[in-house]
Amino acid sequence: MSDLTASGRAALIAFAALLLVLPWVVSSYVLSVAVICLYLAYVGQAWNLMLGFAGLLSIGHALFVGLGAYASGYLFAKYDVPPAIGIVAAVAIAMLMGAVIGYLGFRFAIGGVYFALLTIAFAEFVRILLEHAKFLGGTQGLFLPVSQESRRGVDLINLRGWPEMYYYVILALCLGAFVLCRALLESRVGYYWRAIRDNPEAAAAVGVDIFRFRMYAVVLSAGMTGAAGVFRAFYDNLLFPDQVLNIEKSIEITLAPIVGGVGTLFGPIFGAFVLTPLSELLTDVVEGLKDLGIIAKNVKTDGAKLLFWGLAVVLIVLFKPTGLWPWVCRRLGLVKAPGARS
Amino acid sequence: MTRKSPNNRIERRKFLAGAAAGTVAAAVPLRFAHGQGQKLKVGVLLPRSGPQAQIGIDCQRGADCAPEVLKAKGYPEFEFVLGDTETKPEIARAQAEKMIGQGIHILVGCFDSGQTMAAAQVCEQKGIPFSVSIAAVPALTEQGYKTVFRNFPTGPMIAADSFNLQKALFQSTGKAPQTVVMLHVNDTFGMSQKDANVAGAPKFGMPYKFVDTIAYDPTARDLSAEVRKAKATNADMLWVISRLNDAILICQEMVKQRWEPMGILSSGPGWYDVPFMKALGKYGDDVVSTVPWHDPKKATSKALEAVFKKKFPDRELNTNHTYTFEGVMVAVDAFKRAGSTEPGKLIEALKKTDIKDNVVTGPGVKFNAKGQNADIKMSAIQNRGGKNLVIFPAEAAQAKPNWPMRPWGKRG
Repeated sequence: MSDLTASGRAALIAFAALLLVLPWVVSSYVLSVAVICLYLAYVGQAWNLMLGFAGLLSIGHALFVGLGAYASGYLFAKYDVPPAIGIVAAVAIAMLMGAVIGYLGFRFAIGGVYFALLTIAFAEFVRILLEHAKFLGGTQGLFLPVSQESRRGVDLINLRGWPEMYYYVILALCLGAFVLCRALLESRVGYYWRAIRDNPEAAAAVGVDIFRFRMYAVVLSAGMTGAAGVFRAFYDNLLFPDQVLNIEKSIEITLAPIVGGVGTLFGPIFGAFVLTPLSELLTDVVEGLKDLGIIAKNVKTDGAKLLFWGLAVVLIVLFKPTGLWPWVCRRLGLVKAPGARS
Repeated sequence: MTRKSPNNRIERRKFLAGAAAGTVAAAVPLRFAHGQGQKLKVGVLLPRSGPQAQIGIDCQRGADCAPEVLKAKGYPEFEFVLGDTETKPEIARAQAEKMIGQGIHILVGCFDSGQTMAAAQVCEQKGIPFSVSIAAVPALTEQGYKTVFRNFPTGPMIAADSFNLQKALFQSTGKAPQTVVMLHVNDTFGMSQKDANVAGAPKFGMPYKFVDTIAYDPTARDLSAEVRKAKATNADMLWVISRLNDAILICQEMVKQRWEPMGILSSGPGWYDVPFMKALGKYGDDVVSTVPWHDPKKATSKALEAVFKKKFPDRELNTNHTYTFEGVMVAVDAFKRAGSTEPGKLIEALKKTDIKDNVVTGPGVKFNAKGQNADIKMSAIQNRGGKNLVIFPAEAAQAKPNWPMRPWGKRG
């Protein structure tokens, strides 16, 4: 908060207040879009920890979502283990997988795009493995039992209840991730990560244990993403390997931080809240223009949203390669000095 | 935590359309009331973009025929509200919420099981009836949902019927293969189908054994090695689980390599599609596909086919069209009998559905206590001169089967 200007503080408070009261003032559709935004913001924050903080590109992050989702979902479906306990196993498995990938990558000096390929390879490997794992439903999917009664009320232990409950759960996860990332960035670990990101050779030369701190980044990011998998499993109540772990999902995770600003704390949140609502709005505007007769009814506009996403990413990469958030901060004077740490 | 009434919604599309046009007046909250005298709003939720876009758009063609066909049959008028799942379950869920907010009285969709499951959860929460047009995952009607009604065979029903149709084919022609080789795509669909069929054959007392199952990448540009490997097994019958492009490649390779098994049996898309038949011409004939299909002898099928040909002259009626059409028909039929758009009354009417003059193969549409139409039958169809002709079941058959298939060199 110290680096925010008065208007920055006001904007932050207004945004936080809006998020808190959102379920009471919007329709259930907007609420479900908000859940998607917060989910993307959360997993974006976890992914950003690797690339933005430690300079490690992962394009297989859906792997950790999938592991977390399947671990907690399976424990719940087969052994009635509530997600409040299942999350421990989910995060542990995701962290273990992160450690394996990190160890292989850093031990054998697989860097840059080759490290990214390694993450894709593991994600694909696990997806195919899950498709053949009959006890997890295989290609037929894993379905979490859900009753009519469990759709009402608030049961945080079993992650069952009103849609509003899920909203607040993912909001809390987002807030927790934000606070954790900020604390890490301010800590010795955060400085080491940024040193490694900016110049690993120089960091090593001054005594930073690159292997160790990179491992921290991968394992922590994997664990955070695994927790998102638990949310995903209990929000959707169904898991298909190709829908949870495919590469498209991994790319989706990267979009919010890229649009918002890789390496910034608020970038993933900003990116998620810009891309998703704007693309939803675009669909509505196109349909509205059709209703008004400005666009002919028979013009096929399916996929306009995806086109928008693609265009937005291309434009941002071309014209705002550091992301929108640092630029917005400067333009609106939300931070005292330009920087990537707001 | 308070719940918002489903009747208290802002119609966002109109709001945003008005905003886009610079008119603030359009941003007026609208209340939706369900009741008598209202036109039925049918939400059609399909994957219209993303990897399944072409299939979703194809399904919509069936829905597009519904107003004309159903009006001619005396059903009340209705209107569509369209939604796009983007081939993602989480978007299917959000879109279902949105469409309910837009005032739909009943939902139809979604083609994909995952997306359908996601939308079903929303319908269940909101108490909005859901006429499932295409989705085979058994769990959908095993979750105790009160608002979900599925007029599509489940995976086990599809597998069981496929074997029954094969038996009928072998018995009627007196030619049963002793050995089978399977070529299948290595994606989710292909792997699950392969597993179910290989495991199911002995249980159903099929006369053959599998000598090999060969997986391949559906995006492969060359399948000559796979076909050569399959040919080398010397199996009596080739069983294929394919998509379109790979189906064309396999058939071309079979002709090139002069591999002429007793027959080609397909239990997936590709081999009966119009582009396949156009690409292969006479070599695409005689392939047998076991599919959820329509009964061409039924009056409503004939009416649908006539309207479909008028609207889409370059296309042949297929599973996507007929089942999506029938999903809409089920919805409008419930509305006709309920005499109201009130969700509770629609659900009660859906429970009592008994449509005899429907389109798809089987005795009609009737839902069991779980909301599943357990009477739906699969069909065996055979490609003949660019057409798909039903050969089984007997009551729906348009032609006698060409089995064994004709040698490549003796076709026209």
